[in-house]
Amino acid sequence: MINTHEHEKKQFKRLFQQQGIDRFDSRLLVLEAFLKLELHVTISDLVEQLEKDGILLEKEFVLSSMELLYRFGFATKIEFEDKETQYEHRHLGLHHDHMVCTKCGMILEFKDEAIEKQQLIVAEAYGFHMLQHKMEIYGICSNCLKDRSPLVPLHKAKKGEKLIVKELEAGKNMQLRISSMGLKIGDLIEIVSSGFGGQVVIANGENRMVLGKGMAEKIMVQLFDPAVEKIRGIDKDPVDLPLDTLLLSRMKSGQEGIVRKVSGEGILRRRLLEMGINRGTAIYVEKYAPLKDPIEIVVKGYHMSLRVEEASNILVENVGFRNRRNE
Amino acid sequence: MNKNITLALAGNPNCGKTTIFNNLTGAHQKVGNWPGVTVEKKEGKLKYNDYDLTIVDLPGTYSLTPFSIEEITARDFVINERPDIVINIIDASNLERSLFLAIQILELGRPVIFVLNMADVAEAKGVQINEKKLSQLLGLPVVFTIGNKNKGTDLLVETAINEINRFEKGKESRPIKYSQKIETCISKVETALIESGVNMEGSCRWNAVKILEDDKVVKARLRKISDASAGIIFQAALECRKKIQNLFDDDFEMVLTDDRYGVIAGIVKETVTNLARKRIDMSRNIDLVLTDRLFGIPVFIFFIWAMFQLTFSLGAYPMGWIENAVSLLAVNLEKILPPSLLKDLLINGVIAGIGSVIIFLPNILILFFCIALFEDTGYMARAAFLMDRVMHTAGLHGKSFIPMLMGFGCNVPAIMATRTLESRKDRILTILMTPFMSCSARLPVYIVLAGSFFADKAGTVIFSLYFMGIIIAILSGRFLRRVLFKGEEEAPFIMELPPYRIPMFKSLMIHMWDRGKMFLKKMGGVILVGSIIIWGLSNFPRQISYSEDYQKKIDSVKYEYAQKTASATNQEIKALNLQLALILTEINNKQEQERIAGSYIGRMGKALEPFFLPIGIGWQPSVALVSGFVAKEVVVSTMGVLYGVGNEGGEALEKALKKSGMTSLSALSIMVFVLLYVPCFATVMTIYREVSAGWAAFNLIYTTMVAWGMSFLVYRTGILLGAN
Repeated sequence: MINTHEHEKKQFKRLFQQQGIDRFDSRLLVLEAFLKLELHVTISDLVEQLEKDGILLEKEFVLSSMELLYRFGFATKIEFEDKETQYEHRHLGLHHDHMVCTKCGMILEFKDEAIEKQQLIVAEAYGFHMLQHKMEIYGICSNCLKDRSPLVPLHKAKKGEKLIVKELEAGKNMQLRISSMGLKIGDLIEIVSSGFGGQVVIANGENRMVLGKGMAEKIMVQLFDPAVEKIRGIDKDPVDLPLDTLLLSRMKSGQEGIVRKVSGEGILRRRLLEMGINRGTAIYVEKYAPLKDPIEIVVKGYHMSLRVEEASNILVENVGFRNRRNE
Repeated sequence: MNKNITLALAGNPNCGKTTIFNNLTGAHQKVGNWPGVTVEKKEGKLKYNDYDLTIVDLPGTYSLTPFSIEEITARDFVINERPDIVINIIDASNLERSLFLAIQILELGRPVIFVLNMADVAEAKGVQINEKKLSQLLGLPVVFTIGNKNKGTDLLVETAINEINRFEKGKESRPIKYSQKIETCISKVETALIESGVNMEGSCRWNAVKILEDDKVVKARLRKISDASAGIIFQAALECRKKIQNLFDDDFEMVLTDDRYGVIAGIVKETVTNLARKRIDMSRNIDLVLTDRLFGIPVFIFFIWAMFQLTFSLGAYPMGWIENAVSLLAVNLEKILPPSLLKDLLINGVIAGIGSVIIFLPNILILFFCIALFEDTGYMARAAFLMDRVMHTAGLHGKSFIPMLMGFGCNVPAIMATRTLESRKDRILTILMTPFMSCSARLPVYIVLAGSFFADKAGTVIFSLYFMGIIIAILSGRFLRRVLFKGEEEAPFIMELPPYRIPMFKSLMIHMWDRGKMFLKKMGGVILVGSIIIWGLSNFPRQISYSEDYQKKIDSVKYEYAQKTASATNQEIKALNLQLALILTEINNKQEQERIAGSYIGRMGKALEPFFLPIGIGWQPSVALVSGFVAKEVVVSTMGVLYGVGNEGGEALEKALKKSGMTSLSALSIMVFVLLYVPCFATVMTIYREVSAGWAAFNLIYTTMVAWGMSFLVYRTGILLGAN
């Protein structure tokens, strides 16, 4: 793809310098602003755009600059009687179409010969003589797509993927059936196997569930990205949490809070519970070992130690420093 | 006739159970293993009025889940052996957590009494427990005791006997009631159980709860009795589990756990009054230093150093006495008995063998005294806390540090100490790594060799060897964990840090003596057999063709000197006699040297020469290394014999070694080999007893391979670097 805007700027520099036109730099800014705006532009639009970019120029100067651009063939003028004069781009010999990202505003230029030809054919078929055309495709650019994992129906997920249930596109009956199985929005699930006639076997926590194709199609899921979740300080719980809710492994010594959730598997979870770390228990971080692992905590009036890794299975809410709390 | 009664002591670890057990039984204890598992079983006897009491100390646990051997052992004892009463010891200062186990014990359906121990600590903490109310709520007697002051012990026994009588007269234990939803589930499964007509050990309710909790052990047991009814019952349980899952959005086990804590919270609220008397928490203050970010580790190292100083420096005195006593016995027997093969066996086989074990008794006793001290004060848990990070890099649990540490003293008790580890995998790994810790029996070998060849650098060399052992152990741990235990779940490091306590002297002594006895009993037999075998190997065949006729030579020398003395003055005679004695010893040593070389063990050593040659070890040290399988200190005495200085060792051996043309590089290679190769016979036997024959064999092969490999590396690198 040819970057036509760069090409235009180069020509502009050459011409304006040849002609010895004053305030070259400022005029270049006007050109840039003009090139940014793709539709018909009035002088006021331009001034506004420049202001947005943090450049303050008088209307008169912008007007004179635009007149110069018009004179040198960078812009065309459209004048209606009762309206402000509008300017639009004039690219000599070059033509391109645009793709505009609605999310980040990026403009992608492209040219496709097949489309160009097809336009002429269509116009001719209508007995229309085409002078100019403008085409813009609105959508989401590849970068933005990367950031946002799209929702997919469950039956399209692959084996081993970790997913978060986002939507249930099902009727009332189906919704009831799904939730009676113990699956609900916000659950973190893993695909155990899929493919046998569209049947999907998933693991939801410690439970296995088998979903028929019909049901799996209705469950919209999103890829679970541990990296994104980590930034939020929640490794295991995808639900949005308030700021004072932290994993025990992220608490500092001297902080205390109330256990909200104990996750983890098998022996570890049982052991945590039987040692007295259950929902609603007050927990106090006494200290970290000299080598930063394990942690010493106080629960139910006694001291115990556990590894940082193990502590990351315990979600604590109302975290705060003890002293501050007592005051 | 007296009536026999069995009492089972149950409770959390660190609740003072052992202290009460000691108070009850005194020194009349029997320490052994629970049948089939390597969990320690302690039993004691006590006479009380018309009763003969047998007291069984159950393993200390926090719960009765089927996840650890200890917990299964404890509950199986209560269910299958049906003790007359379970005495549940509760740390009164820690009531809430203790009740979690207590409730599960109650559920087992046997008569139970609660013993609120450490009543004084609780009081000092400002916790007041209304025992009458507690007794009322749960329908069982509650007794206060102070274990370390031996208060309340009699009351405990009396209450227990009264309660047993009450049960005989028809009292039934009152079950704990859970929330409505859980109770509905329990009664459903209970009904299914009753309808199926299956007769299981333990109460119906308990089995129902366990099946609902998806308890694999109980489920397997039911399936064994009747597969068909098991199916029906499991189906009922599964439906209930599903219902609970939907209702509470969590597993049945978790909901029940929450419910149990709910019940407990209710009990605590009813019975405990917290007086707002805040006392300084001594334990926390001590921990400010002992687990401090800066001081924690240095202080720990100091304690360990002190422990070793005590064990080895202080232990050296009684060791000397024992050594003297043994040699005195041998010398006297030598004089009394007429020369015969039996006498040789007795003196050089049996007495030398037993002597070589008994000599370590002082070390073992002091070491275990220190360890008991660490354990009883509560410092042991801190040691694990401090060291877990380090041990974790080797793929082990912080608690593994203690057995590994003990390995420096003697591998045998060290391997026995791995019992503190919960997971079988951690235990096997620790057992496999421990032999790389340079035990004290290897030290004499280093002292002789390093002393002879590295003179003033001996200390550095010996230190490096110890260090090398640690590094090899860590690398082995990582390697073996990857290879042998790929993908297995790691045991959680969730551990109580009990408050510091002043240890009771009596309990320390009992603990120390238990271990000492165990060591003597287990090792005595093994070493005795081993010594006799090695004696046989080194004394047979009896007929060896010597290079010259030594008897004839001795005779001729004697004759020569007899002639010389005949024509000499008195003063000259003394000098001549001295000369004669020297010559005779030399001839004797030479003969002994040839005899050993010709014996079976000598032949084995020589046969193994090609194996040892690439690592720069000649046939004499080879023979010594082979004989070192019995016990590593034997390496030195065998070398003494082979280098013709008798089995005295010491300076004579050092001189002989230097003269023999052994290079310092060879000496280093031998030391590395001694450090790493097959731990002694006793260690292998201990591994066999603690784990299995397979693991013992694996350890044998693995250590030998590592030893050879490292010696090869050291020796060949040395040669490349131009050392000789």
